Amino acid sequence: MLEVVNLSKHFGGVRAVDELDFRVEAGEIFGLIGPNGSGKSTTVNLIAGIFSPTGGTIVFDGEDITEAPPHVTLHAGIARTFQNIRLFNNMTVWENLWVAQNSAEQKRTGNPLARWMGGSRRAAAAVEEYLDFSNLAHKRDELAGNLAFGEQRRLEVARALAAQPKFLLLDEPAAGMNLEEVKELDERLRVLRDRGVTILLVEHVMELVMEVTDRIAVLNFGRKIAEGTPSEVQQNQAVKDAYLGAGEGGADA
Amino acid sequence: MEFVDYLQAVTDGVMQGAYYALIGIGFTLIFGVMNKINLAYAAAAFGGAYASLGVAALIGTGDDFGLPPLIMFLVSAIAAGLFAWIVYTICFRFTPDHYELATLMATVGAFFLIEEIAVHSTAGEPMDFPEVLQGIVDDPMIEFSDAFAIRGDLLTIFLLALIAMGLLLMLLYRTKLGLATRAVAQQRTAAQLCGISVDRTNATTFIIAGVLGGLAGAMIGAAVGVLSPLLFVPLTVKGLIVTVIGGLGSIPGAIVAGLLVGGLENVFLALRGITERDMYVMLLLFLFLAFRPQGLFGKKAVRD
Repeated sequence: MLEVVNLSKHFGGVRAVDELDFRVEAGEIFGLIGPNGSGKSTTVNLIAGIFSPTGGTIVFDGEDITEAPPHVTLHAGIARTFQNIRLFNNMTVWENLWVAQNSAEQKRTGNPLARWMGGSRRAAAAVEEYLDFSNLAHKRDELAGNLAFGEQRRLEVARALAAQPKFLLLDEPAAGMNLEEVKELDERLRVLRDRGVTILLVEHVMELVMEVTDRIAVLNFGRKIAEGTPSEVQQNQAVKDAYLGAGEGGADA
Repeated sequence: MEFVDYLQAVTDGVMQGAYYALIGIGFTLIFGVMNKINLAYAAAAFGGAYASLGVAALIGTGDDFGLPPLIMFLVSAIAAGLFAWIVYTICFRFTPDHYELATLMATVGAFFLIEEIAVHSTAGEPMDFPEVLQGIVDDPMIEFSDAFAIRGDLLTIFLLALIAMGLLLMLLYRTKLGLATRAVAQQRTAAQLCGISVDRTNATTFIIAGVLGGLAGAMIGAAVGVLSPLLFVPLTVKGLIVTVIGGLGSIPGAIVAGLLVGGLENVFLALRGITERDMYVMLLLFLFLAFRPQGLFGKKAVRD
């Protein structure tokens, strides 16, 4: 579904991502882990079209999206969340979802006026569904900026879903969550996979990554040092070295 | 001066403040969405007013003024919207995001360009703006006494401005276009990832701001009776003052500040005369900058 070939991103002399290759198959939850500064978020930004790569290609669903800007990757079917939450803080929960739902609706109907006119009933119903799915229905009229941290994280995932993506990029969705919230997230991700959404999960919370993912790629200094099932990766010596030998920080958030 | 004279001055001023408010909204809208100042904005707004004069000259002349007054406002609004889009394309569209000074200087250049065009095409002479409201509205419209009355032309302009502001707020808060605009203003990256084209939203915002500016330009023409390139700088300055006092990026702030500045300005005028009026307006600005730099409605802005 998503194929990253020889992908590189240099910032000045720093090789944030260095000749990276991996493939995410349709219908799986693919984990991307690594110590701080290993290039995970940069990779997400490259796929989402926020950065343009120094070299390499990104192919999604048979379509080259290497240089595609964010709104194009979104319409191709890729939605994402951010490591540091980026909601529309002065809009209500409902409006946050409505923004994303609109563009999906516009694309589906092919009607350029969909953006201008009041929304269809179907779009409104879809927003309700995401509110329910994220357990935010009772907060619909709250400003997003006033929500609790965990609720904001849920809303961000819901907003990504409202764009009706085939592929979801989650950048540390569990950061700052307590164990119970992590469990809920785990369940939600499984539900999404069962609905046919492919997920790329960047995460530091190992309880979640090792539980929920089908396969994992491990990055260190922008390079892939291992790939495999969670248990394979846990046994891998290069991975242990990367996390333990990295010295400062280790596997924390 | 009697109390009633002050009342008259404030009333007239507040109604005239409507076009300061419109200009202020234009600056603030663009700042809200792009986080940049467009100094060519008021000049483009007057460009619209000049264009409406041009169209009027083509269709009708002199005393038998051919265009109905409201069409005059409409032509000015549409032309200014077009000019605003051109300014966007020239000064903003292709300049990298983080070169804020480059866009700022480009808009200064655009300001002078528009001003020069206006000066050359009119030989620097003030152009009579038809008294489009005369004969249509009573003057004075409402008369309370010899000392206090409400001028019909000012009231018309004031109401027209209120309608325009109402439509703008409806556009921003009741339509998907407005939703996209607010999304870009609040969280640009996330808006892109919701499938919104930032470029198209920016361009639309410039056009909307331009339309409001064109309306204001024609109103000023109608209220003052002449259009002159000499108005460009003062109106730009007033617009910026209103924007700062209202709070950068705040539309309600621009409205309140526009009416406030209009009202106070007229009091200063009545008290101290035309030569000193603007000194006190500037003093007001400095008081705000010193004691309430975020303006009336501004938040201490954080944007990542």
